[in-house]
Amino acid sequence: MASDDDKSATIPVDRERCVTGIEGLDNILNGGIPRGNTILFTGSCGTGKTTLSLEFLVHGAIAGENCLFVSVTETSDKLMNNVIPYDFFDESLIKKGTLVFVDMPVIYERLGMTEMELSLEDVDSIVKAIGNLVDELKIKRLVLDSVTSVCYRLKTEEKIREFILKIGKTLSDRGCTSMLISEISPSAERYSLYGVEEAIADGIVLMGNLERRGDLLRTLQVVKMRGTNHSRAKYVLDLTPAGILLVPLLKGGSGGGTT
Amino acid sequence: MPKSPADLAGELVELPPSAISLVIKDETYFDAIRGVVDIFASKKDLNTIYISAAIPSQSIIDVLNILEVKMDNIFFVDCISHIMMGSTKRHPNVFMVESPTMLENIMLKAEYLIKKAEGKPTVILLDSINALAIHNSAKILSEFIHIIINNMRAKNAYIVIFSIEGFTSDEIGNMMSFVCDLNISMEDGGDD
Repeated sequence: MASDDDKSATIPVDRERCVTGIEGLDNILNGGIPRGNTILFTGSCGTGKTTLSLEFLVHGAIAGENCLFVSVTETSDKLMNNVIPYDFFDESLIKKGTLVFVDMPVIYERLGMTEMELSLEDVDSIVKAIGNLVDELKIKRLVLDSVTSVCYRLKTEEKIREFILKIGKTLSDRGCTSMLISEISPSAERYSLYGVEEAIADGIVLMGNLERRGDLLRTLQVVKMRGTNHSRAKYVLDLTPAGILLVPLLKGGSGGGTT
Repeated sequence: MPKSPADLAGELVELPPSAISLVIKDETYFDAIRGVVDIFASKKDLNTIYISAAIPSQSIIDVLNILEVKMDNIFFVDCISHIMMGSTKRHPNVFMVESPTMLENIMLKAEYLIKKAEGKPTVILLDSINALAIHNSAKILSEFIHIIINNMRAKNAYIVIFSIEGFTSDEIGNMMSFVCDLNISMEDGGDD
């Protein structure tokens, strides 16, 4: 017969949640992302990764949490021009400094990183710079879009591992819930381009395009999430001005591969 | 004695939010649509989401315009116009789904319109199960109907699914009887 102590060891502690504000995703995650987790949002182009991550930040900012979007691949001005005009978006969030956009090339420039390939010392400097931003701005939610573009300049597995481990720890230590956006090719059989990111992240959310009889559906699947029970089923999503909506993927149809 | 569409719609709104299978005759199709839409949207002031899989939304809008039915509360999820490669003329209340095979996207558009309604009582009119059956297998269609009905029930919305008399297979008919709260035939006016 199990003692009370034995029982408590088998029941997962209910961790504080970071409610994403995306109703369907919060339901899938039993209330939201466990606070402080570093999540890899991975998928090929056009699957809605950036849109989803921005909505996560906007809801956080509306809830009064300071949020930071670190843009690596495009300037934040260009990004904002291409984002769906959300019904719930309020520009004053940016003016008040609750929602902050930083372009990664500006960080590289300020740190004097002119070489294409970054060193292990550069990794430390980047992580420290992001950590300082999180401290100064009291950031509770962060998006790095994309981690793949940073890894592209790191080249070796050792440096990539070092970067992911350090950035994850830095953010987690500060109670910051983070989304690292990862780009994979449509035919990839793993969750990240370098294979390192997926092993280190606390959670993996796979976003894809499912082709079914000539129709292309956007899908989302939570593959892994430490600290919570969650659905592992595949859902279909739509990007709307009211935010991202999710419904279950119907299973009666003919099969198709996720790309 | 057959019920008029107005009598029928009047009767439906007396019910709590439910899933209703409405069997209509081919020859009274437009009368039934007009009656149900007019009563729900205009007289009862319900947010009305019309899922058009049988004929393009523009054809329905034309009929409603002739009859001077106010369009403020009526929104269309049109899943047939796009595959017809027809006119790109768009009414602001029409939301397109690329194909009637994209059943998940039909649910998503309905969800979006319910969200936009911000708690206003809503009725979904699905026109029709027969049109969707042309493009989808009975298996996936059954799954879709089961999920959308329960989804709408959870949101306190009515859902009325049209089926055309004499054009429904036994498999689909049995499924509709199983998942709907009420099966109403316009011809005999009865329910079960």
